[in-house]
Amino acid sequence: MVKQKISTISAIMLTLSIVVSYITSSLPRTFINESKSAAILNIVYITAIVLFIILLFCKLLKKFPGLDLLDISNFLGGNILKNIVGGFFIFYFILSSSLMLRNFCEGLSVVYYPLTSYVFVILMFIIALAISNRLGFISTLNTASIIFPLVLISAILLFCGNLDNFSFRRIYPILGDGFYNTFILGLKNIGSFGGICYLYFLPPMLKEPEKLKKIAIISVICTGAFILLCVATLLFMFSFFITTNEVMPLFSAARYIEFGSFFQRFESIFLLIWIISFCCYLSISCKFATHIFSKMFNLSDMKPLLTIFTILILGISLLPKNYAVSSSFETDFYRYLRIAIGYILGMLILILANLKKKKVGEKN
Amino acid sequence: MKIKEIVNNIFSYTPPINYKFILPDNSDTENSNNIQTKGNIPEKKENIFASLDVNLDYIKMKYNLLINSDIITREFILNARGKQHKALLLYIDGMVDSQSLNDFVLQPLMMRNKNNLFDGDQNRIISEAVSNNITVRKVKKFDLADYIESCLIPQNNIEKTNSFDEIFSGVNSGNCALFVDTLNIAFNIDIKGFKQRNIDKPQNEIVIKGPHEAFVENIRTNTSLLRRFSNNEDLVIESLEVGTMTKTKCAVCYMQNIANNDLIAEIKYRINNLDVDSILSIGQLEQLISDNNSLGLPRAISTERPDNAVQHILEGRVVVLLNGSPFALILPAIMIDFLTSPEDRNLKTIFSNFLRAIRILAAFFALLLPGLYVSVTSFHIEILPTELLYSILAARESVPFPVIFEILIMEISFEIIREASLRVPSPIGTTIGIVGGLVVGQAAVSAGIVSPILIIIVAITALSSFAIPDYTFSFHLRVFRFLFVFLGYAAGFLGIGIGLFVYLSIICDMESFGVSYSVPYSTMENLKSTGIVLPPIWKREYRSAYLATKKSQKQKDISMKWKFQ
Amino acid sequence: MRKINNIFYKIFILILIIIFIYSFSASYTSLNLDNLAFVVALGIDKSTSNKLKVTFQFIKPTPSSEGGSQTKPVLTSVECSSITNGINIMNAYLGKKVNLSHCKLIIFSEEIAKDGISDEIYSLINEVQIRPSANIIISKCNTKYYIENSVPSLESLIPKYYNIFPHSSEYTGYTCDATIGDFFNALVCNSCAPYAMLGGISSFNEDSSSNPESLNDSTIKSNESLVTGNRLSQNIGVAVFKNDKLAGELNAIETICFLNIRKQVDSFLVSIPDPENSNSKIDIYLTPNSTHNISVNIVNGTPYIKIKFDFSGKIYSMTKGSEYLNTDVLDSISTTCNKYLKEQFTNYLYKTATTFDSDINGFGVYSLSQFKTSTEFDDYNWLVNYKNSTFDVDINTVMDSGFLLTQT
Repeated sequence: MVKQKISTISAIMLTLSIVVSYITSSLPRTFINESKSAAILNIVYITAIVLFIILLFCKLLKKFPGLDLLDISNFLGGNILKNIVGGFFIFYFILSSSLMLRNFCEGLSVVYYPLTSYVFVILMFIIALAISNRLGFISTLNTASIIFPLVLISAILLFCGNLDNFSFRRIYPILGDGFYNTFILGLKNIGSFGGICYLYFLPPMLKEPEKLKKIAIISVICTGAFILLCVATLLFMFSFFITTNEVMPLFSAARYIEFGSFFQRFESIFLLIWIISFCCYLSISCKFATHIFSKMFNLSDMKPLLTIFTILILGISLLPKNYAVSSSFETDFYRYLRIAIGYILGMLILILANLKKKKVGEKN
Repeated sequence: MKIKEIVNNIFSYTPPINYKFILPDNSDTENSNNIQTKGNIPEKKENIFASLDVNLDYIKMKYNLLINSDIITREFILNARGKQHKALLLYIDGMVDSQSLNDFVLQPLMMRNKNNLFDGDQNRIISEAVSNNITVRKVKKFDLADYIESCLIPQNNIEKTNSFDEIFSGVNSGNCALFVDTLNIAFNIDIKGFKQRNIDKPQNEIVIKGPHEAFVENIRTNTSLLRRFSNNEDLVIESLEVGTMTKTKCAVCYMQNIANNDLIAEIKYRINNLDVDSILSIGQLEQLISDNNSLGLPRAISTERPDNAVQHILEGRVVVLLNGSPFALILPAIMIDFLTSPEDRNLKTIFSNFLRAIRILAAFFALLLPGLYVSVTSFHIEILPTELLYSILAARESVPFPVIFEILIMEISFEIIREASLRVPSPIGTTIGIVGGLVVGQAAVSAGIVSPILIIIVAITALSSFAIPDYTFSFHLRVFRFLFVFLGYAAGFLGIGIGLFVYLSIICDMESFGVSYSVPYSTMENLKSTGIVLPPIWKREYRSAYLATKKSQKQKDISMKWKFQ
Repeated sequence: MRKINNIFYKIFILILIIIFIYSFSASYTSLNLDNLAFVVALGIDKSTSNKLKVTFQFIKPTPSSEGGSQTKPVLTSVECSSITNGINIMNAYLGKKVNLSHCKLIIFSEEIAKDGISDEIYSLINEVQIRPSANIIISKCNTKYYIENSVPSLESLIPKYYNIFPHSSEYTGYTCDATIGDFFNALVCNSCAPYAMLGGISSFNEDSSSNPESLNDSTIKSNESLVTGNRLSQNIGVAVFKNDKLAGELNAIETICFLNIRKQVDSFLVSIPDPENSNSKIDIYLTPNSTHNISVNIVNGTPYIKIKFDFSGKIYSMTKGSEYLNTDVLDSISTTCNKYLKEQFTNYLYKTATTFDSDINGFGVYSLSQFKTSTEFDDYNWLVNYKNSTFDVDINTVMDSGFLLTQT
């Protein structure tokens, strides 16, 4: 159980730190692959849609102040539904963090440690996760609050440092692959806003629960801006072939930055910042999964669970046979998983709970 | 049975006992009522009462006599013209000259003074009229106050006053006050005798523009230094004893109307519940009352400057003094406090912020520079510009050791030199430092053991660790830089990134007496006047929110009234 | 029992630390700074029987106490079937591991470029260590000969020369700063064509293919110029590619036109015929203004490209009796300059369209706004239709005075 309440800004940082982990590996690739030059239009459109969904979410949550999704599903369908919903979310958190870890470590291993097996790189992250699990939840949030501004600065630097290499005309043709592709099929990109899954569990942890709406809106806008910045960098710099076919496209963009002949090839420093924020993401995911588990079974102390979940993450990240398997999982399957669990399941529960409450209220 | 026990013991789990004390984030939350609060006393000027008992009660309330240990009241019988009156002396121990007090105040006033006898003939006759064989004399009425002032006390500076404010300001500055029953005035007797500091400059905290006084070993002298700088009756100095055998005196000092009650209670609770035979230095006390000692980071500022200590008391912190140690502990402390020096308040803000940025950079270098060098030369060679790479390669041509071994040799030699220069007698102490560093470095380069670039790296690291104001903090950086060297050697930037993450997590988790260690930077709330950058002095209107003080505003919105009115 | 748990815990941590130091040890013993040989330039030739001949240029680091003596770079060549194999053989030969992270130049010979270099480019880009900002040069002579003659003339280290020389394109316009990253980007892009620098050897020591006296200063290229000096290698001109095969070369003035269209030149010198005396020439120093205007329209299925450039010029060469504060004189020089430049630009543009059939100017990117979707653009197939383009060039030069002198 989380003993201390978290403040507004920490909550915003929490939802933002989720997006950093997959923006470095595959997110720009999916955007540009599908929408080609209309990627920016697509992002703006998707941000608007997600904003609308978030407003709906806040409105639905108004009837249940201070309760999170587990309590609401308890109200709706009793213990069984609560356990099912909790199980789904735990499955989602563990799977996403372990496969993200695998992709990131494969990328790192290709770039910097060609002679070391990726297992040891994964093990390093797991050790960091195990150590940070012994500390409180607040420490991870505070670390994320310190690191995330650095990540933002690195994204801005990536954009500004590459301005010479940009050709802004690549934004044409405006509609990319066509209206249908951009707007209708592009809807599946709402899966990139993974922060919503964490928003479902935030209300009991907040110091000021009435600020949930503000937190949600600000985090969606910031996530959208951040994704826009990174995708714009890649869109203006490279042709589509490169973005869709390189291992870590944002990392490749970082290699082009140079100021004079002295400051060249500074991508390692970007990678340092991304590594630290990735560790924050892992820690937050693990702690959320453990929190849900302990809430499902009313445990008082979740420390030993954290060790088990850490080992589970390690095991699952070692499962895919090679990079091709884990990469295809991330680009194809993962988005639909997020849409299904984050948006459809969550919203369904909320809508049904609202209807039930109305019925109960009418009966009374 | 035994196997079952072993298995149970391996796989069993007992939740750890965590002692947790948290201060509220700001002073708007509810305070606890553990200690007597001062209450809201209307600040009207009180005059001295005629009855001694009422005076005594008022003084008890004002000076918190029940808990203040160095405010002394001496009741005695005053003998004047054969009549006895009850009298009371009020003074602060350590600030008055005891010998003069005995000889020139108590002795003339008490019964033992033979010169105080009266035989009636000493009436002053103003006029005399004789009528019908009856002599009527007009005698000057006996004015006791006048009599005491002019006849009894052979003191060169004595003032009659009827206002408590003047009495208190006199007592606070080292005078002694005399109250007499039935008189509604009191005497303010100048009898200052606090020990002046021995012309000791602070050894470790040199400041260009501030005062150059330092604490000494005697606790009374130290408390008198605090009193002199604060000059306010709300400063409470409580006396405690630590150590069952040595019973060392320890003083806990705070501002009654500013510091948070829970904080004060917690500190006194921790000091009172130590079961050790002896505590002889403030360093031992700090380790025994800190939350935990993870990472070796200090949880309390230790200073030897009284002006620094009083500044912190006025901010709402608590100062702990120990008899026999010339250092004061200031609690609670956060990370940025160890990177600020007392000079920062005396300089203009643009210079203080510049120095603060330099110190943060120095801390970064002291911790990470060797590790970054090792990881760049081992894993990330493409960052170096080509010309620099070739100089490094050329310099390493004759060096037989790998980079990690070179760094370890040089770092350990520098640590040995540093430790040696502490033991050498002082005329040649500084020379050893310079000679040792230069000669060893230069000789090592000429002999081909290390490369010159490495000497520069190690020298910059050593100098950066000297730039940190706090001794314990720079020690911590010196030790943990080896960890980062190993991590950089093992896994390059990945190792350093992981190490930084774990380090930052532990720092964000640490607490110092209820205040989170990384407070203004990580939570980013309640940033009134404790932001990343030090604001100009006229903008520091509020006390730090994380101290949860009773009185959060310390300046008005417009403090320079001469300018804006 | 708690004590034993603690001991187990500590032993576990110790084992973990040992595992880590051991597991990453493979990386750092072989990546140790002392075991690496840094390649500064890489040359790829065609050798007999369809094999490649790869030349590596290394620098031997000398201790700084020896003073500023010039260090001769070390050259080695190897015959192999691909670049990766060549590096592998070189590792075995040298003993030190070849490291490409400071490689500044990648040179292909003309023969190989004519056959197509996409395989080599893909392998090089796939390599982690290669910098995307390394320059790519097509050399008209043997690359080994080119690299051999690439010795430092004004610097003590050759990498410093390699850093500096592409930047001369900004103020002379005679060469271009072509990097392998840009080359790869253009190779896989369907709206522009790749280009590379043109390198060669001064013809003074070689059998020259053209009569030196008939050469115009503005039509020089590598392998033909008349520079003599310590270093015989030179880089003037641009190599034009169609897909991955070499399609042609640009000489100096054409390179100036090319750089102007790509907005990569700050200032350059042209010699225009003197309007008053047809035998002599005037040297003018031109600076492009920021109001370059390029627009591409699709008219009847063929591209119609309109270019409008503005320059401001200062007169460099002074002759007897010239008065350059006279507005009439300046106007006549302006008109001549405009005519001259328009002729050069139009010649150059039609040359890229008809002779080379390669859009190195990047007009395809400007045409993107004419299409609604990228499928339309793909269907239109810009690279095929480029050769039917029509060009409309409009040059406007504003002549200032001379530099310090206003009249003689």
